[in-house]
Amino acid sequence: MARIGVFVCHCGENISATVDCGKVAETIGKLKHVVLSTEYKYMCSDPGQTLIKEAIKEHNLTGVVVSACSPRMHEPTFRKACAEGGLNPYLCEMANLREHCSWVHEKNELTTEKAIDIVRTQVEKVKLNSALQPIKVPVTKTAMVIGGGIAGIQAALDIANTGHKVVMIERSPSIGGHMSQLSETFPTLDCSQCILTPRMVEVAQHPNITLYTYAEVESVEGFIGNFTVKVRKKAKSLDEKLCTGCGLCTTKCPQKKIPNEFEQGMGMRPAIYIPFPQAVPNRPVIDREHCTYYIKGKCKICEIVCPTKAIRFDQPDEIIELQIGAIVAATGFDIKHADFFPEYGYGRYKDIIDGLQFERLASASGPTSGVIKRPSDGQIPKNIVFIACAGSRDPAKGIAYCSKICCMYTAKHAMLYKHKVHEGKAHVFYMDIRSGGKNYDEFVRRAIEEDHVNYIRGRVSTIYERNGKLIVKGVDTLLSSMPVEIEADMVVLATAGVANSGAEELAQKLHISYDSHKFFAEAHPKLKPVETNTAGIFLAGACQNPKDIPDSVSQASGSAVKVAALFSQNELTREPLVAVVNRMGPPLHSTCVGCFLCQAVCPYQAIEREDIKTRDGKVLKSLAKINEGLCQGCGTCVALCRSKSIDLHGYSNNQVYAEVVALLNEY
Amino acid sequence: MNNLISRAKELLESKTVNVVIGYEAGPTGLARPAFITDSAKADKLIYDERCVQNLAVYLTKAEVKNFGKMAIVARLPVMRSIMMLISEQQVIGDNLIILGISEDNSLLDIASISVMQGYIDKCDLGNPSKDREILAELNKMTPEEKFSWWQNQFSKCIKCYACRQACPMCYCIRCTVEVNQPQWIPVQANAHGNTEWHILRAMHLAGRCISCGECGRACPVGIPCHLLTMQLADQVWNYFHVHAGTSDKMNSVLSTYEPNDKESFII
Repeated sequence: MARIGVFVCHCGENISATVDCGKVAETIGKLKHVVLSTEYKYMCSDPGQTLIKEAIKEHNLTGVVVSACSPRMHEPTFRKACAEGGLNPYLCEMANLREHCSWVHEKNELTTEKAIDIVRTQVEKVKLNSALQPIKVPVTKTAMVIGGGIAGIQAALDIANTGHKVVMIERSPSIGGHMSQLSETFPTLDCSQCILTPRMVEVAQHPNITLYTYAEVESVEGFIGNFTVKVRKKAKSLDEKLCTGCGLCTTKCPQKKIPNEFEQGMGMRPAIYIPFPQAVPNRPVIDREHCTYYIKGKCKICEIVCPTKAIRFDQPDEIIELQIGAIVAATGFDIKHADFFPEYGYGRYKDIIDGLQFERLASASGPTSGVIKRPSDGQIPKNIVFIACAGSRDPAKGIAYCSKICCMYTAKHAMLYKHKVHEGKAHVFYMDIRSGGKNYDEFVRRAIEEDHVNYIRGRVSTIYERNGKLIVKGVDTLLSSMPVEIEADMVVLATAGVANSGAEELAQKLHISYDSHKFFAEAHPKLKPVETNTAGIFLAGACQNPKDIPDSVSQASGSAVKVAALFSQNELTREPLVAVVNRMGPPLHSTCVGCFLCQAVCPYQAIEREDIKTRDGKVLKSLAKINEGLCQGCGTCVALCRSKSIDLHGYSNNQVYAEVVALLNEY
Repeated sequence: MNNLISRAKELLESKTVNVVIGYEAGPTGLARPAFITDSAKADKLIYDERCVQNLAVYLTKAEVKNFGKMAIVARLPVMRSIMMLISEQQVIGDNLIILGISEDNSLLDIASISVMQGYIDKCDLGNPSKDREILAELNKMTPEEKFSWWQNQFSKCIKCYACRQACPMCYCIRCTVEVNQPQWIPVQANAHGNTEWHILRAMHLAGRCISCGECGRACPVGIPCHLLTMQLADQVWNYFHVHAGTSDKMNSVLSTYEPNDKESFII
């Protein structure tokens, strides 16, 4: 016989101001099977919880209804209190008298009557509750880091240094990301490569890190602690074990006119190439799209010259399956290029370049060996214009956000230019200078005051070519919007940072949310900045929004701690409020007929196929089976199942039916 | 018909199949389903306008499944039922040989499921014209008129569930009406429960009905319950441009989302 205890909370005055809590408790107390119905000012307080714990023992309760607030906050509180009182926590239900009643109605009798109805449904429900046990799922203690830029590298190293295995996936032939392309870094002007390459080497040599370059995520299935990730290792067309990275093949390749991605198209590369001299791994790949052999069926010069016979033209893509416990998405960003800007000639003028191209011009390892030469004729520009906020903070262009890094790198670019071309003039058009960060504003001041960079507050309306000069027309808003016209030799656009190509597809594979700009979404903008809405998947770096190196590295270390915390446990505990397919003895085994329509509607891929077999392996019947680790208890499958073969623990058909019937019946 | 008999004999003699599911003449002259396991008895097979039952309904029965490989006499609705049953994983296509019957009652050469799909694609997949006419009349009524018209029809229902038994898509081994914890649908035949049953049956067949009309034909008290599922088949076609039973790989139209799905029905 059910013995139900009902505890009506006043929530200070949140509930009692409009609901007559005394009357609710009194009326409910008269219901069948309710052996205790009482009220208290703050049920969630320590005395309130003690009241519940003691009542469970004193009245030998078999079910508890706490009539208080939304279960979102305090269901765990009261379940815990019940457990401490000796009752299975899942025999405790909450009736939401605050959000569902007192906050939305005025004080009158009807409000109290509605409160009584809400409690009545829960009393009927709790009678049918069953004692549930938490689900334990194992944790695979291997992390996957997607993306080998500075964020990915930091996350991978931090996780690996906690003693856990890490798999790093990078889609280009080398790790390093955008940071490896930069010449110097703000605000210290130290060489980007010099601080990055040791980390890249550390990744390659770390005993806990497995590196897959030229590889992409094919599919992700599973759940926190238990992901199964399929990775496509694109064919590099060579045997990595035999290749020594001597680079002879890259010098002999007859295709030499392919725009070099690492140089942002400012230089050329062959079809078999190592992206840059410090690449990790330092092995070439064949770009099959441009290789003469794959286009015309003839050539194979690299195969002939290779001293170790490592070239494999017939190598297929390989799909590997990995068991992964946690994932860090660190896929980085991209920038808009000059062709995004009609007002600046859609990329028609060779000497209008973007920030990354300028980085390559300024880099000692770049196409000009660090001499600032303009692309059109190789002349050193005497007059250079930098335009900040090219695309960013421009709702008309669909990019309303601030790209965050451009103010700082523009100051850096102007400074680098002045350091290399002493007699040259540098102008910066800006909207605002956003230099929040340690030593950031000092850095900008240095550009203005010590290096005499001409900062003009205003936007550039148009750029056109006249007599071999780029005429930059803008305004100076600090001089009453006076028109400004500068005859420039070169223009550098600090173009907007945007989500990386393929970000949307990856987010869909990972089942994580992303915003309208395709940047990955964090679980909470302030308090969960590295978590995603999918448990076990974390974010690092500019895949979330444009970030500079210090921010990316901090966030990467943050996500590494989250992964390490997850891996510190051997088992994860989950709520047992999951769906279940009924089972019975042979010959039926279950009323499930195996139509698997539930599989199509499950948003969590939690429904598997289970074959019931005889001892000699003959399949008698195929049934749907719920993976308890994946199921979130949404109940979509329960609603869909025609034969009502699926039920939801904690919200069974019987319980919901009892709630509805309670409302229809007089009391 | 001779073609059908000789083909059935050939299949049974060569042990390609263990049973041929077709029609034979019953004692009163009506056609009835026949399960021919012996080639000598294949002569009993008939095919003419009397052969109306949807034989696909037998394919999901355990005792029929035990035959293993089987051949089935199939006109268009049966073929479409088979497609649905394969797509819902109730029947294994490789176990079936289709003895297709064309509109003019001649034997079709259907070597595989994909050939059958080709044949189905060329057919008119809308509801039968006589039912289309009745539906058009019904759709002219106001919702209140329609409701009372159907209430009047449902009042005749004796809850024999012949509609369910005749339907090849009603293959659940336990129907919702047999669930008694909780008892969703009242057992007894009353106006309220009858309406619930017929609406529930129609909803379970939404997007799955292949318009064979067997449910209405099987009803002993003459409720045109096939009109409910046919109306839904029409609506599924209008909204999603999908006819049930046109491919063995089709996804359930009402439980899968396509980016170009119309959403005009969301109010």
